[in-house]
Amino acid sequence: MKKNIYYSLLISAMVSVSAAEETRQVDKHEHGVGELNIAIEGNAIDFEFFIPGADIVGFEYEAKTESDIALVNAALEKFENFDNIFSLPESSNCNLVNSEIGINQDDDHDEHDDHDDHDDHDDHDEHDDHDEHDDHDDHDDHDEHDEHDDHDEHDEEAHNEFVAHYSFNCGNIKEIDRISFPYFTTFPNSGELEVQFVSEIGSTSFEVEGDEPFIDLKGKI
Amino acid sequence: MLLKLSFSSLYARLVTVGMTILAISVSLMLYMSVEKLRTSAYTSFTDTISQTDLIVGARASSVQLLLYSVFRIGNATNNITWESYLDLVSKEEVDWTVPISLGDSHKGFRVMGTNKEFFSRYKYRGSQSVSIDKGYLFEDLYDVVLGAGVAEKLGYKIGTSLVVSHGLQSFSDHDDQPFRVSGILKKTGTPVDNTVIVSLAAIEAIHVDWSTGAKIPGQLTPIDEIREMDLTPKNITAALVGVKSKLTIFQLQRWINEYPEEAMTAILPGAALQELWRVVGVIENLLLGISVVVIFTTLVGMAAIMFSSLSERRREMAIWRAMGASPFTVIGLLMLEAIFISILSITFSVVLLFCVLNLLQPWIDYNYGILVNIEMLAIKDMYVFAVFIIASITVSLLPAIRAYWFSINDGMTIKL
Repeated sequence: MKKNIYYSLLISAMVSVSAAEETRQVDKHEHGVGELNIAIEGNAIDFEFFIPGADIVGFEYEAKTESDIALVNAALEKFENFDNIFSLPESSNCNLVNSEIGINQDDDHDEHDDHDDHDDHDDHDEHDDHDEHDDHDDHDDHDEHDEHDDHDEHDEEAHNEFVAHYSFNCGNIKEIDRISFPYFTTFPNSGELEVQFVSEIGSTSFEVEGDEPFIDLKGKI
Repeated sequence: MLLKLSFSSLYARLVTVGMTILAISVSLMLYMSVEKLRTSAYTSFTDTISQTDLIVGARASSVQLLLYSVFRIGNATNNITWESYLDLVSKEEVDWTVPISLGDSHKGFRVMGTNKEFFSRYKYRGSQSVSIDKGYLFEDLYDVVLGAGVAEKLGYKIGTSLVVSHGLQSFSDHDDQPFRVSGILKKTGTPVDNTVIVSLAAIEAIHVDWSTGAKIPGQLTPIDEIREMDLTPKNITAALVGVKSKLTIFQLQRWINEYPEEAMTAILPGAALQELWRVVGVIENLLLGISVVVIFTTLVGMAAIMFSSLSERRREMAIWRAMGASPFTVIGLLMLEAIFISILSITFSVVLLFCVLNLLQPWIDYNYGILVNIEMLAIKDMYVFAVFIIASITVSLLPAIRAYWFSINDGMTIKL
């Protein structure tokens, strides 16, 4: 245990050295405000969610106790099924092509560099077992992940963020005139969603809240 | 017959009725001009920049960056270094970029440094690009291209020489390096009209003898020497960026926002504009609310005038009754009167609106860069008129019922 403290001291010293060398900047982080980016091109529509942990599970430290881990895993499981998060009009005939769900433990900026290739979201930190989320059957035994307890090297004050990326291919993309967000009922702690939207016509933005959980996209695709 | 009667009755009370009509038309005009201004401002803003995927500048609020870099209003943002710009250019997702440098002015018009690609990449109103009306784009270091508005307001022609001032106030001029007008652009209805455009190298050149915002005393590098110098800019204000695929916009935006060497911001123009509109929308709704209340007040005023005229008109009504008018005809007459008043007010308010807009349009365009479109009324206006007529009929019902009551009670004899 003591050793761990030395390690964390060493690491924080290293971090501050490297921070002094480059510009110091910290990402914005606002509880109750999730970000959603929607991009459309051709027949493809992409969704990217960045939701503060507080909005989903009510805490943002790294889950260590069994109950916290269970909460996080239950939340990730909900993200796995996009119907819990948003819904597209049936007539648009959209099929999920790819999805990646994960958590950013936001305490080290360098990690952000590999956000571009979403493939390695799976091996972010200790959440190696997120791969298994694809087969929903074995979620029951997530509770026994005791080995999570000894990841002490993470800063306690870190903010975590749920990251979800979904790509669809649509038969009739012009039919998407509205996207609704069951997200707000799935996660009762959630606040608003700040949506940035871009299509070939141009870009726009929305602020979505639980009392009107949808965006109107008529004439925007 | 009824129509004629009602009309002559109105005519007989010309002054009071006239004042009522004036009050109603002014309030209707107020409502319509607020509505016109807001739709014009919205379209003129959204039409100003299209087909640019991202605007990149120094760390600032998205609205500030958009307003300063595209509309040249609001507070200036910081500059970003040329190195960061080159890093951005080399990103795989980037299709094209146009650097922009702001900060100097000429007689109150902003001077913008950019490259020739600006003219082909900058698009407005869907896919229209700026085109040259007279002359040519800058060839020489000291060539300047004028927006249509600048040329018109200052009376400049091809070949006119001009001096750029440092900053927005004309306290210190770059008078050692005069420019020559090489081209004048066609009118676009965007802030480009009010911009003086030079090359990035020219911006660099005029600041050769300047240090930290002031001229270095006694130093005057000869123009020939400046022409020989490396005039690659050290920094720029913003860059317009186009991406290869829309699906990579957010990835690039994140890369820029998290760029470790320099604090930068990348915004989606449409998204930032919408953000601005959510703020402006509150004030807009307030103005609309006020004008609706004003209309309501004038309607109540109309009812009040009708009420007060009722007692004066009891004789008139007795005569109508004597001539065979039923009490219902009396109601009809009063309602017809209300319809007359409202239609007249609407017509008058439209005339008033167009007069006011025509008078104010150049001023609004000059000062705010918003081109108010004076076109015929929209369908929405017709709805408003219809609602207004129905409202005025409803309001007139009260005095009409009272008149009905009078006419039944009084019959042909008036007990005053």
